[in-house]
Amino acid sequence: MKKLLSLGLVRGLIWEVFGTALGMGIVTGVRALMGLPPWKEEPAVVFGALLGALLFLYGVGVLDDWQKWARGEETHEPVDESHLGWRRYYSVSLDHKVIGIQYLVLALILMSVGGVFALIFRAELTETGMQFLTPIEYNTLMSLHGMVMIVSILLGVAAFMNYLIPLLIGANDMAFPRLNAFSFWIAVPAGIILLSSMLLGGLDTGWTAYPPLSVRAPMGIQMFLLGVSLAGFSSILGGLNIITTIIRLRTKGMTPFRMPIFVWGALATSLMTLTATQLIGLSFQLVMFERLFGMGFFDPAKGGNPILFQHLFWFYSHPAVYVFVLPGLGMISELLPVFVRKPLFGYRWVAMSSLGIALVGFLVWGHHMYASGMAEYLRVPFMYSTLLVAVPTGVKFFSWVGTIWRGKISFPAPMMFLLAGIVVFLLGGLSGPPNATVSTDLHLHDTYYIVGHFHDTMFGGYIFPFFAAFYYWFPKMTGRRLNEKLGMLHFWLMTPAFFVLSLSMMRIGLLGMRRRIMDYDPAMGFQPYHLAMTIAAFLIALGILVFFINLIWSARKGEIAKGNIWNSRSPEWQVPSPMPMHNYDKPFEVVGEPYDYGLPGSTYVKFQEGE
Amino acid sequence: MVHTNKSSALRLGGLVFGLLAVLTAIEFTFALLLNLWGVLILIALVKAGLVGYYYMHISRLFEADTDLNHESYAYKLVTNRLGLWLFLVSDAFIFGGLLISRINLLGLTRPDLNQLLGLGVTSVLLCSSFFANRAEVSMSHGDRKQFLISIGTTIGLGILFLVGVLGVEWRIAPFGPADGVAGAVFYSMTGFHAFHVFTGVVFLTIVLRNGLRGRYSVEKHWAVEASAVYWHFVDVVWLFFYPALYLIGNVR
Repeated sequence: MKKLLSLGLVRGLIWEVFGTALGMGIVTGVRALMGLPPWKEEPAVVFGALLGALLFLYGVGVLDDWQKWARGEETHEPVDESHLGWRRYYSVSLDHKVIGIQYLVLALILMSVGGVFALIFRAELTETGMQFLTPIEYNTLMSLHGMVMIVSILLGVAAFMNYLIPLLIGANDMAFPRLNAFSFWIAVPAGIILLSSMLLGGLDTGWTAYPPLSVRAPMGIQMFLLGVSLAGFSSILGGLNIITTIIRLRTKGMTPFRMPIFVWGALATSLMTLTATQLIGLSFQLVMFERLFGMGFFDPAKGGNPILFQHLFWFYSHPAVYVFVLPGLGMISELLPVFVRKPLFGYRWVAMSSLGIALVGFLVWGHHMYASGMAEYLRVPFMYSTLLVAVPTGVKFFSWVGTIWRGKISFPAPMMFLLAGIVVFLLGGLSGPPNATVSTDLHLHDTYYIVGHFHDTMFGGYIFPFFAAFYYWFPKMTGRRLNEKLGMLHFWLMTPAFFVLSLSMMRIGLLGMRRRIMDYDPAMGFQPYHLAMTIAAFLIALGILVFFINLIWSARKGEIAKGNIWNSRSPEWQVPSPMPMHNYDKPFEVVGEPYDYGLPGSTYVKFQEGE
Repeated sequence: MVHTNKSSALRLGGLVFGLLAVLTAIEFTFALLLNLWGVLILIALVKAGLVGYYYMHISRLFEADTDLNHESYAYKLVTNRLGLWLFLVSDAFIFGGLLISRINLLGLTRPDLNQLLGLGVTSVLLCSSFFANRAEVSMSHGDRKQFLISIGTTIGLGILFLVGVLGVEWRIAPFGPADGVAGAVFYSMTGFHAFHVFTGVVFLTIVLRNGLRGRYSVEKHWAVEASAVYWHFVDVVWLFFYPALYLIGNVR
């Protein structure tokens, strides 16, 4: 029992349960004192969940050092925790590598949950009519699939940024290690609260939670809104930390244009999470207030405006998709030169294209609202700004093609995922402009075509590069390689199935299949496509299962990876695996360009001599 | 780090406060006489610029490092400043979103509020900013007594502001949060802002407590600077919220 309580996570969960009960009690007590009927479920549950999340943070111990500062006590610097073994991953650690892996595990857990949701409602859609789900169950699963996956992607992006950025720029840790731990641990209660919406009546709004529907939805929507708001804090504070780290903690000689390209992608992403995320938080909180206090922001009967919600919501939620893909695209640019043994084509252009996408990304949100009654004169400017995104994205594609061109290509598992990522993202990119163009979007809006396009961009921009990075950096994290054969099996199960899935989505979308609906007319002839999509979805799940088996098996018994197994120029591969506790015992200096593969006599980093 | 002597720094703080007070008086009188929102926004921007430059020391972000060792206090101080400012930028987006919502929902109308009370709480907050600046200047010149008095005054004025908005204004306003969109906008804007004032008061109280125990020195007083900059930021937000709620447009 004592051993169990030494794990921060266990203490946090106990405190969360206690806090939730306490919060519900406080609301009930205050209502009784005010002479109102004491028990009202919605405010009690919302306040309980909020207090539970705060006490989780207290219980897990992530606030300890800040409490000491507030009391004016000294705090000690991070100590070596490696004697704790696996246990340190269950408690607060200030080491960015531990936090990165914590993020990674949470991201994988949420990805599995979101994936299982998809499998359930995908199975339901195989046939017309309702087989085994009720409408509210279907709607809940469909809505949560979207948001759980989004949170999982944010955490996965944060995982790799946390683990890699200090290694790539030669820092010993992030700029604010305690804030870093806080950013991770607040995501845990956020995930719990988000999923608890299933137990409280579910929700039937889709992941966008538009009012007035969300104002009338079952109470699960409150947990959905609160969970996303808390996850937003994680993302905002994480972005703040990444930006500061990149600006302040680069090693000697690492000028901006000698930074690894992934760092540029992370910088662009973090600029967006830092600023835009506040707006989805605000829009969701305003819906919560409308439900709790009857405030009429989005209620036309009280003079409110539902379109306002969509503006606030999409001001984040469009840049959010660039948040998801920019690190992945950076990953592709980062790893391609390693596997083709050639310099990255047009380094400066690629670096600037990430910032360009981020900048333009702030100006395009209205393209989600062509069909929702937004002021008509706004349509054309938003159309052109959206089409402009293709320019910096095109720069990246030219760079990739130019990099691969006449390279000495090898095809281990990470490279396979990179190449698939490029192709899938191309498909996602090319299916985008029809949605951006007003005339075609009015037909395509809210159809499966959008769903297909979106899944293409997410798989191409996040899932495939994410797995590539997994196969590439797993030896750095654990000291053992992932099994190559299982990796190939994973790849060949997932990739063809994904093409079947997304192309079928686009096809029936063009033919008029509406998105988000739980049933469709048998006369439309969509059943064969839905059957194919369901089979494909299960094949993808099988591929991911193979990946998990590989992960668990290789972490224990995989081939030991010593030294620079990929023959990379990057500094983290010049030191032993797994990474030493304090990263680089001897500091290094950047003396050349990062991607000059194949150029004789060129060096990127030079480690300081002597002890 | 400190280039000027103490009395001239204090005089500058007082001068800026005088300018802010005059501008607020002009703003208020102007709004009573004429209905020109552009001028009011311009005045708010000028005031925000004064606070940002002279009280929040935005230019410190662009100073060159004096010590390039990443582990030194001087280097970490500059890193901390950057982190705090990024946090403020992020926070500004939520207040920006509230302002946009107010513009969208209310346009050139405003809630029916008590003008004198509005001017009163605004003056209280401006005075508190003056004392927050005084506290920081005193600490960086080693005048501990002046620092403690000033920061105590800042806290007192902050609490007075909270009482004015939450205790009085929320009670005497002729509408509740559920009464139409003006109520929704008014209670959400003042509520979000009051929450930040409250966290600022908590922060300043912690700084006061540690100051009483002598934890800060002329060289090392980042917490004092951070709490003051955060407090000025909350003031800057109100520089925009005050005209948005009390001055711009006609009463609904």
